[in-house]
Amino acid sequence: MVDVSKHELVPEHTVVDEDVIDAVLEEYDIDRTDLPKIKYNDPALPEDAEVGDVIEIVRNSRTADRAIIYRLVVD
Amino acid sequence: MRNSTPKDIGAIDFGLMEPEEYRDMSATKIITADTYDDDGFPIDMGLMDPRLGVIDPGLECKTCGKHSGSCNGHFGHIELAAPVIHVGFTKLIRRLLRGTCRDCSRLLLTEDEREEFHAQIDQSRKLGRDLNDVTKAAIRQARKNDQCPFCGEVQYDIEHEKPTTYYEVQQVLTSEYSQRIAGAMQGNEEEGIERTTPDELAEKTDIELSRINEILSGSFRPREAQRKAIEKALSIDLTDEDTNKLMPSDIRDWFENIPDEDIEVLGIDAERSRPEWMILTVLPVPPVTARPSITLDNGQRSEDDLTHKLVDIIRINQRFMENREAGAPQLIIEDLWELLQYHVTTFMDNEISGTPPARHRSGRPLKTLSQRLKGKEGRFRGSLSGKRVNFSARTVISPDPTLSLNEVGVPDRVATEMTQTMLVTERNVEQAKQYVANGPNSHPGANYVRRPDGRRLKVTEKNCKALAGMTDEEETAGIQTVGPGWEVNRHLIDGDIVIFNRQPSLHRMSIMAHEVVVMPYKTFRLNTVVCPPYNADFDGDEMNMHALQNEEARAEARVLMRVQEQILSPRFGGNIIGAIQDHISGTYLLTHENPRFNETQALDLLRATRIDELPEPSGIDDEGVPFWTGRDVFSELLPDDLTLEFISESGDTVVIEDGQHVEGTIDSEGVGEFGGEIVDQITKEYGTTRARIFINEISTLAMRAIMHFGFSIGIDDETIPDEASARIDETIQEANDRVNELIEAYERGELESLPGRTLAETLEMKIMQTLARARENAGDIAEEHFDDDNPAIVMAESGARGGMLNLTQMAGCVGQQAVRGERINRGYEDRTLSHYQKNDLSAEAHGFVENSYTGGLTPREFFFHAMGGREGLVDTAVRTSKSGYLQRRLINALSELEAQYDGTVRDTSDTIVQFEFGEDGTSPVMVSSGVDHDIDVEGIADRILDGEFESEAEREEFLGSKQPPTNLSEHADSRRVDSVPEVTSDD
Repeated sequence: MVDVSKHELVPEHTVVDEDVIDAVLEEYDIDRTDLPKIKYNDPALPEDAEVGDVIEIVRNSRTADRAIIYRLVVD
Repeated sequence: MRNSTPKDIGAIDFGLMEPEEYRDMSATKIITADTYDDDGFPIDMGLMDPRLGVIDPGLECKTCGKHSGSCNGHFGHIELAAPVIHVGFTKLIRRLLRGTCRDCSRLLLTEDEREEFHAQIDQSRKLGRDLNDVTKAAIRQARKNDQCPFCGEVQYDIEHEKPTTYYEVQQVLTSEYSQRIAGAMQGNEEEGIERTTPDELAEKTDIELSRINEILSGSFRPREAQRKAIEKALSIDLTDEDTNKLMPSDIRDWFENIPDEDIEVLGIDAERSRPEWMILTVLPVPPVTARPSITLDNGQRSEDDLTHKLVDIIRINQRFMENREAGAPQLIIEDLWELLQYHVTTFMDNEISGTPPARHRSGRPLKTLSQRLKGKEGRFRGSLSGKRVNFSARTVISPDPTLSLNEVGVPDRVATEMTQTMLVTERNVEQAKQYVANGPNSHPGANYVRRPDGRRLKVTEKNCKALAGMTDEEETAGIQTVGPGWEVNRHLIDGDIVIFNRQPSLHRMSIMAHEVVVMPYKTFRLNTVVCPPYNADFDGDEMNMHALQNEEARAEARVLMRVQEQILSPRFGGNIIGAIQDHISGTYLLTHENPRFNETQALDLLRATRIDELPEPSGIDDEGVPFWTGRDVFSELLPDDLTLEFISESGDTVVIEDGQHVEGTIDSEGVGEFGGEIVDQITKEYGTTRARIFINEISTLAMRAIMHFGFSIGIDDETIPDEASARIDETIQEANDRVNELIEAYERGELESLPGRTLAETLEMKIMQTLARARENAGDIAEEHFDDDNPAIVMAESGARGGMLNLTQMAGCVGQQAVRGERINRGYEDRTLSHYQKNDLSAEAHGFVENSYTGGLTPREFFFHAMGGREGLVDTAVRTSKSGYLQRRLINALSELEAQYDGTVRDTSDTIVQFEFGEDGTSPVMVSSGVDHDIDVEGIADRILDGEFESEAEREEFLGSKQPPTNLSEHADSRRVDSVPEVTSDD
């Protein structure tokens, strides 16, 4: 099978540490569930991602070169 | 009423209503189906009971004492003789019946399963997902248990016959079990099934032989386990289905016993909604204001559809009660019950599949509750979100190049009808009086006034002078006159701000604010440069105007919505307002060959601009007369320090240095409506006001220029010499020959197919290519014979209108006509028209038009051309309807997203959609649109600072490079030292 996470069009997905999450949630004044979601069975997710984790996605952006997005893993 | 403070809605609860609540809010019980008595008075406890509200003006409401208009009406109620099912909840009822025990009414889930689903529901709530998915899964799980985990009762299947009937399906032992067993034991030789003796059967089923014999004789009914064993041994079915109808009263009893904790697992809040409330025992009767009756011309009353339906319900309800009291047979009672159910069902929804709609006497289906709310013309889409508004006007638009792009010409008859509210104060009382004195019919007049006591008076020809206090006898007449504290609804006057709109409103530039210029005649007038954002033309387009009614709205419109604020489009960051069509031809003629103008001509070109004095002449001609070049005239409109370089549409490099146009052609690339570089640059660096002035002046200069040179186009401009025609004919003949060669090669089977294509496809492609090349060549030949000053060439090259293709088709050859991207292949069997041989593959027979538009098409060519043309028309028609629906769905999906102050984009439940608006947090209109030249931010900052401070010292102070003395004594010394040298140098 093809590992999509290696594909050049798939941006980097990494599991975020708890303290980083807290900082992010603090910054935007939100609960974890207010984050955008990503499905647990999404092939782009790293191996060690569990439901309830927060994923950081670093994308190439047309407007801002690099854009960082956080997503909550849901089932 | 007028000064009531707005209130916040704290919360809205959705839930079911308890029967007791219906009774509590009811103003009266309704018992008679009659509406009015013989004298025309409403009958007490009838459907038109005066306690339900008033509709006739002048009467007083018996419940609240208010009059018609201020009384909203009051509900009544009907006590139903027997419970009926609410159609809106049939699905939920079915689900609950299937998921709960038929005996103890508990949810058929074990404690563990409950916990699980409870957790899932909480999770779904938090994530904002559809709870239905979880509850559906819970019910599915519950149905798997065919025995109640609490009381052990066996559960049966529930069948739902739409819309409102439920059956319990039980599998029972058939009465002819002995025959069926005996028959199966006989065996079947044809199918190779052997005979079974009772002994064998007893052995297989573990039933004693005597029992088997009893069963076979029919004197013993096998028990459940024995039945299953026999069924298995003989592979037969011994059961019959027994359906048992569940009456609404049974269901109600069932639901009453469901414990609160159990329905919570299904996401239902038992506090607000008990499931038994889905079975109606009381029916609320809507107030008369919701179903007003109308008096027809002949004095007859015509009742609302809802009233008719309620009459039916009450009639059946009464018959039901009478029959039951009289002890009628069960069959009749059940029929009446079903009839009552039907009427209550259609009262709520008359478009249920499987049920015939209730009809009016005329045969028209009744419009009941659900029909009032549903769909495009329903209450939500039709009345609440799509309201018709006052203070609006609509008429045809026409162009007026003398207006500013910020303005709109408003016909005087519109201006005298639409008003602005003017609060009279000490300072404007004289003006206000003048407006009132002018009356409602002469232009800057007034239509209404409101006195400080709140009375509204209509200003008429008769009372206007008196209201304004401009007659002698006003005191004797005792009329109050306009003074501070009054409100005057005066006519629209020049400079008022209004909102202007053209449908379809596809982007925000479809609704912009304009300043009013009152004009004679009947059309709205607008400057032609605002046509692109509205997508308007003047072939009969109509537009809407809305007058703003409060100061906040006017201020907002002026700051945010004025046309000049919309010059840059958020779609691509460039300007959407700019020179169009003839303006572009005009600037092209003015700057392309840089013509010379004498003083009179130059002044004439600039006469509608702010430029009153010509600059130094560009030079002196041979006769000693000073002249000005087109580019120098154009430069007068540019900001003094604008520096810019770009490639124009015509292909040359445009150089602008310090506000002087040095080189190049000004065309659509420079000042055009979709990303004109100069307009774009000016808007971003000098602000919208400067850009508005520039566009206005460019358009007037261009009009003067094009009128100076004269610009027209006619048949002769596209006619080419005979010699050229001959060459074109030759090229086309060559192409025809080439096509015939290809066809011959194909028929001989010598044609080689292209990769991935069949031979026929290859041939088609090659023919298309050949013919396309022929048209190009014809175009090239035609073009050679046109001068650079040919109007069609000027328009194509400047980007004003049309392209080289149009020119080619007019002068050279129209070319291949296509339907669905292929040569024309339809019509008769194996041929397009009966004029051709069957299977003729030639260019001519498949829609190649050899002639040009000027030369004229042959009838067959014309026909093919019409075929191609029709496809275009159909395509646009289909596209607009498709994209309209797509737009509606997209907007509905995006309408709740909002950019927040912290830079995120969130929906209404605060879920983040983008962490930074557009990922970079910037507005597209604030960003440089071209990569080539950045916005001169430093320059803008310098200019603002220059304008802000009077002296260099002040400026340095502000920028912090020089600290001002904060304390006089502290700096006293340094100040004295500074001043000393000055004094000394003086002598």
